[in-house]
Amino acid sequence: MNVIVVGCGRLGSTLAVQLSMSGHQVTVVDGSAASFINLPADFHGRVIEGDMLTRDVLHRAEIEHADALAAVTNSDTLNAVVAHMAKVVYHIRNVVVRNYNPHWYRFQEAFGLDIVSTAGWGMHRFEDLLSDNPLHLIFTDDKSKTAIYQIIAPKKWQGHLLKELLPEDSSQNVTIARKSNILQFAEDLTLKSGDVIYLTISFEQVSALHKRLNLLQED
Amino acid sequence: MYVLIAGGEPVGLQLAKFLIAQHHQVRLIENRQQVLAHLHQKLPTEVIIEGFVTELDLLEKAGVRQADVLVACTPSDTENLALCYLAHELYNVPRTIGRINDPSHAWLFDQKYHVNVALNEATILAHLIEEEMSMGDMMTLLKLRRGNFSVVEARIPEGTEPVGVAIKNLVLPDQCIIAAIIRRGEMVVPRGNTVLEASDEVLAVTDAEGAQQLSELFSV
Repeated sequence: MNVIVVGCGRLGSTLAVQLSMSGHQVTVVDGSAASFINLPADFHGRVIEGDMLTRDVLHRAEIEHADALAAVTNSDTLNAVVAHMAKVVYHIRNVVVRNYNPHWYRFQEAFGLDIVSTAGWGMHRFEDLLSDNPLHLIFTDDKSKTAIYQIIAPKKWQGHLLKELLPEDSSQNVTIARKSNILQFAEDLTLKSGDVIYLTISFEQVSALHKRLNLLQED
Repeated sequence: MYVLIAGGEPVGLQLAKFLIAQHHQVRLIENRQQVLAHLHQKLPTEVIIEGFVTELDLLEKAGVRQADVLVACTPSDTENLALCYLAHELYNVPRTIGRINDPSHAWLFDQKYHVNVALNEATILAHLIEEEMSMGDMMTLLKLRRGNFSVVEARIPEGTEPVGVAIKNLVLPDQCIIAAIIRRGEMVVPRGNTVLEASDEVLAVTDAEGAQQLSELFSV
């Protein structure tokens, strides 16, 4: 894919390197040439210094041939405006914006864009890991309406069957990490303290998971 | 009319003063402390709303839902574009006006971002300056419709073609009409049979092309 990354800060440069290593043609655009210092010397993609809202720079970035664009500057307004242009003027398939300041999330949402909120996501992870709750939400996908949870088995679950924990029809979507082993579902699999369970379920199954978890906690 | 202005310097303040004098309801949003200090000296307190123009809560508090017009005239083109888009998309503001700071962004200021009227300051000013330079002794008194039409004043020098000619016999440009003549400090209402004299000052309403032709007609 031809991917344009707008903004070459910590996130932009890391993303550009990652995309490039995955075999994509990457073009990084930033208003300040000094930002390109964030890229490693062996970076294979193209770099363009300039204002992404001018036709000249868009032309140099060959936006007509881009399949995807990520707007990841630290200006939430600029990210939204650039992404809107990429969609409306150049009909780029996959356009994603970074939300830098969660305060401006609603503003970006109003453009109907796919948003990745780095600060917001980090905050939820912190809250999750700081709490005693064994259940941690790792990922949600609004499009397919699925959620991935990480569940760390506390001591008192020791000896319980794994299937006691799982909502109906979810046994195919579970993986257990026990020390350095990866285990799959089995009817008779019993839990051990410290097991890390990864479970993918639909949004509808979330309340069932909470119920089962509460039963186990009350035991 | 309820007019919401985003950005106070230098355009927003002038516009707000002008609109208030005409008894329109005005709110002006600004976040720069330096500009705010200045605004508070020049405008009634209730007109000024402090904060970032892209904050939706603030726009709502400023009455964006009731606004008849949104004027986005901050020094940031990105903000101006975003504001026009959101004003229409989220709040159905019927008319949006966007200020273009950098002419290379002008191509974005249209329906792409729901901008109804784009004002390209640099281009308008450059256009006006160029016109003034080519006009010789003719003076522009007033610009109408973003500079497309103007009221001009020209003095008829001795020995030029119009001297001694009745207005009905004068070959005037198509888009041009003589509105008044000032003769020895008195106003003469121009009629078809009014004969022009040397040193008459002629006031005319004209388009840009007409002004050019008029200037040629009145030069030696």
